Amino acid sequence: MEDNKRYPELRRRLSPGWWTANRHYAVYMVREWTSLFVALYSLTLIYGLSLWAMGSRADFLSFLKNPAVVGFSLVALVFTMYHAATWFYLLGAISPVKIGRSTTKPWQALVLNLILLVTVSYLAIWLLVLR
Amino acid sequence: MSQDIATIRVTRYRPEKDAKPFFQEYKVPYRHDMVVLDALNYIKAEIDGSLTYRWSCRMGVCGSCGANIDGEPKLTCASFLHEFKGRTITVEPMTHFPVIKDLVVDMQDFMEKLVKIKPWIIREKETPPEQGEYKQSAKELERYSQFSSCINCMLCYAACPIYGLNEKFLGPAATALAYRYIEDSRDQGKDVRFPVVHEMEGVWECTLVGECSVVCPKGVDPMLAIQKTKILGATNAIKSLLMPRGGR
Repeated sequence: MEDNKRYPELRRRLSPGWWTANRHYAVYMVREWTSLFVALYSLTLIYGLSLWAMGSRADFLSFLKNPAVVGFSLVALVFTMYHAATWFYLLGAISPVKIGRSTTKPWQALVLNLILLVTVSYLAIWLLVLR
Repeated sequence: MSQDIATIRVTRYRPEKDAKPFFQEYKVPYRHDMVVLDALNYIKAEIDGSLTYRWSCRMGVCGSCGANIDGEPKLTCASFLHEFKGRTITVEPMTHFPVIKDLVVDMQDFMEKLVKIKPWIIREKETPPEQGEYKQSAKELERYSQFSSCINCMLCYAACPIYGLNEKFLGPAATALAYRYIEDSRDQGKDVRFPVVHEMEGVWECTLVGECSVVCPKGVDPMLAIQKTKILGATNAIKSLLMPRGGR
């Protein structure tokens, strides 16, 4: 070890474009960046709910019906669904459940969680908007 | 048997002579059953004796011959030359590690991490050998067996961008081995290993890139071990908060 110290340390560090080196890294980066839309949509929703809290339900609904908000929500929905699907899949990969002799596959966790997501989302929409 | 010619571009870096690493190109005749390591051995024996690289077993067991082949961390003994037919093969030292010479990297950091997680069975009280072995069922073995296949080749560290950003990160192989002992029914060293794997630069640094598990030549899934360790840590923390005597 001591001998190496005589020379300047040469180490190939991570370059800013490291994630373009292979497909897996790129997919990872897409997964991480789509979370930005989850955060932005959450902020939009919190703002909408604050309109309701301080004003009326009609204020909240008219904010949601604003074409810009509708457009953004649709874009956010696509990215959020992608983000959610990647994590549901990973959840299945990390925590397979043993049922009898067989073990669950990641895609099964993905499907089950998507069904749960749709159910919970419908309940939320019903409570907030349709009711 | 017919022979083809492979063009191999190898990183050369002699710290006493070169300010910067550079590529040197070699032409190597090869047969269908030859691997990149065979080509390096050919270069050293027949063309340039100064080329420096590590190797030992030549059969994917010792974990010494890792390098970045065409940018991907691989064992040179497990990469067939014919798979690269028609293109130049680039062989570089593994990324993220300090280079000592040519393809040889400094393993010190990994060795220190390996010792830190204490990769051996810890018992609260050792029983004398006359009392027999610590028994284990096939089911108990299954819980950790894949993680015991690690050959310490460090390819997972070369593939991990988190380690590339922060070399203090405990990293894939060391955590996989820690998990291997944590899950071993004969082991009683959880309290010793937990502080190491759950410190700031332990498992919580991992953001699930998952490339460690892709490049592992032994089919180990370090990403899984890291996430399982996170789950164990989190459930332990909740238990110690809610249960009397920390849920022991």
